[in-house]
Amino acid sequence: MGSIRRGVFRSVRKTTLYIVVAGIAMALIFPMFFLFTFSLMSDYESYSEWPKPLLPRIKVEFRLTPIESVDGSYKMEIWNNSEKGFTPFGPEENTRANKSLRKLSNFIRNYSNCFISEKELSEIMDSVDQNGAETFILKKKVFNNYTRFFTLYSGAAQSVLNSLATAAMTVFLSLSIGGLAGYAFARYIFKGKNVLKLSVLFVRMFPPVAIALPMVIILGKIGLYDKPVGLSLIYSVNQVSLSIWITASVFMGIPESLEEASQVFGASKIGAFFRITLPLAVPGLAACAMYSFIYSWNEVINALILTQFNPTFPVVVYRSLLGANAQVHLIAAGSVAQALPAIIFTLFIRKYILQMWGGVKV
Amino acid sequence: MPVLELKDIAKQYNKRVWGVQGMSLDVEDKEFIVFLGPSGCGKTTCMRMIAGLEETTRGSIILQGKDITDLPPRDRGISMVFQNYAIWPHMTVYDNIAFALKLKKLPSSEIKSRVEEVADMVKIGTMLSRFPGQMSGGQQQRVALARALAVRPKLFLMDEPLSNLDAKLRVIMRTELKAIHQRTEATSIFVTHDQSEAMSMADRIVIMKDGEIVQVGTPEDVYFRSADIFVAGFIGTPPTNFFYVDVKKENGCTILDHEFFKAELGKEDSDRLSGYEEIVLGVRPEDFILNKEGNGILKSQVLVVEPQGAHQVVALEVEGNIIKTLVPSDHSLRPGDNISFDFDMRHLHFFDKQTEKRIS
Repeated sequence: MGSIRRGVFRSVRKTTLYIVVAGIAMALIFPMFFLFTFSLMSDYESYSEWPKPLLPRIKVEFRLTPIESVDGSYKMEIWNNSEKGFTPFGPEENTRANKSLRKLSNFIRNYSNCFISEKELSEIMDSVDQNGAETFILKKKVFNNYTRFFTLYSGAAQSVLNSLATAAMTVFLSLSIGGLAGYAFARYIFKGKNVLKLSVLFVRMFPPVAIALPMVIILGKIGLYDKPVGLSLIYSVNQVSLSIWITASVFMGIPESLEEASQVFGASKIGAFFRITLPLAVPGLAACAMYSFIYSWNEVINALILTQFNPTFPVVVYRSLLGANAQVHLIAAGSVAQALPAIIFTLFIRKYILQMWGGVKV
Repeated sequence: MPVLELKDIAKQYNKRVWGVQGMSLDVEDKEFIVFLGPSGCGKTTCMRMIAGLEETTRGSIILQGKDITDLPPRDRGISMVFQNYAIWPHMTVYDNIAFALKLKKLPSSEIKSRVEEVADMVKIGTMLSRFPGQMSGGQQQRVALARALAVRPKLFLMDEPLSNLDAKLRVIMRTELKAIHQRTEATSIFVTHDQSEAMSMADRIVIMKDGEIVQVGTPEDVYFRSADIFVAGFIGTPPTNFFYVDVKKENGCTILDHEFFKAELGKEDSDRLSGYEEIVLGVRPEDFILNKEGNGILKSQVLVVEPQGAHQVVALEVEGNIIKTLVPSDHSLRPGDNISFDFDMRHLHFFDKQTEKRIS
């Protein structure tokens, strides 16, 4: 009997554990999930329906009815999920006049993310004339918010390029300078090594905002203000020191005798580094690259201060939040677009990072 | 003409500490030399200087008549087996062994046949496509060995290659290494701190202490004609026992006088010791001969008995010092038993008390 009780106890404990873990996972994932769902909603879904659905609609139902009192005019209605019925949508009266048709088509596109041409609208009106009120279903263009974000906030596309350039340069600078310095710290003994190592860390102790103003002046003087290069230089100051610490420990973990062996067996000192040490350090360097990329991609405050007409993407998203015409569903789309590259980049080098944490051995 | 000449090479660290001071040695063709010494004696430093991994502060290294003192490691025609194997984890066994050959731009058919030849020699012929991470320590050691053999070096260096293996594997590898050496006839230098390893493998042993050579000789030389107290105490298990004795003349005979015993010397030894008053007497454990009648030169009581199979190590306490002797196993001895020994007078070692050098 004891063994059964023990078994029950064990499964109860296991179940509790799973529930707790699932709860934590939900708490972490749900906001991201909601943001993503939100980014797929149309204006109408965002502002006229409550509660918000967990999944966005893919199809939208409309109804067109003739207005009895005025001949040749129609009323457009849309299905509202919270009221469980059709509600008026668009101009009060729609006629077959070209101007009116275009107005209705644009309205449907802007507020429900559905596309219908003027010709199709007039065909529906034809059948309404014959059969009375008609309901019809349109497919929603799910990713329309993203297109709209980039058209509505001018310069968003250019700012993505700016961001990419900044991030690429930051990664390059922090890996090359930081990696070489890390190698020196790992392999060579020299005077003042520990002081230097600590002073490298010292740089990170200043909050970036505190030194932003002098940076504006310095960058302005050397002509790099409002340019991705200048921004990446500022980011590198921070990231190089982090890279030094990461890569130094990575290189320390690679036995020097591996390099020495390759020197004995025919490689030069530089050849030994490139053939032996560098390939073995790739996981660590990848982790380093990830930190630099994510930092530079997400950074807002410095970018806000150090750019004006050539902002980075986070700055654009930030400005969209502040704007008078703030539209929540569009900002959600911008936010997701902002998060995506970092996620993709992390997934891309996931293998190496797992390797560094001992997941897979070479 | 020697293959390798070390001319007064020295290494100084940080302009203060001497790692190796003034070492000169000639290594003959096909010879198997072992550098032996306690840790920190400079044997590995010396080997690394020969390999070019360490700069020499002074002196010159000449390999086959060519001064290689300032050449980078890759131009020396030397190969090396490292203590921690130092095989590259991101390459397959094949690539590890072929590394040097590829850098030399040999044709790929030649590389393939050479890799297979050495891999078979060290018995890893079936594992060429594996990665080192999938192999045991012993197998990794064989990869390191194969890699070093593949380049057909002028000189083959081994830096404590067996010290990371377990005791049983170490003895097996010892035999295999010696067999490989006999087959390839590569001039070899082997560094170890294990004197039994040195004794069993070396043509000549170079015993080092504090960065200097103490004695160079065959295993028999260093064992039976140890140059000083350090060598006599370092070679052999258990090590040599030492007694401080007075040299006295009694009735025309030379007598070694100790608080616990008196030993009468023969004519030859007496001549060697003429002029000395105090010396250090060294007696190897197996040179104590059990006297069953109980009236031998040295009388004492058994302190500890350590059975070893064919023989047993019997420890005595003489004048506060532990003396270890080897006794055949057929005598059953227990702690506290009275015991008496004679000395094997042919193999006594005499050392100068001041200089600690052998009196010959």
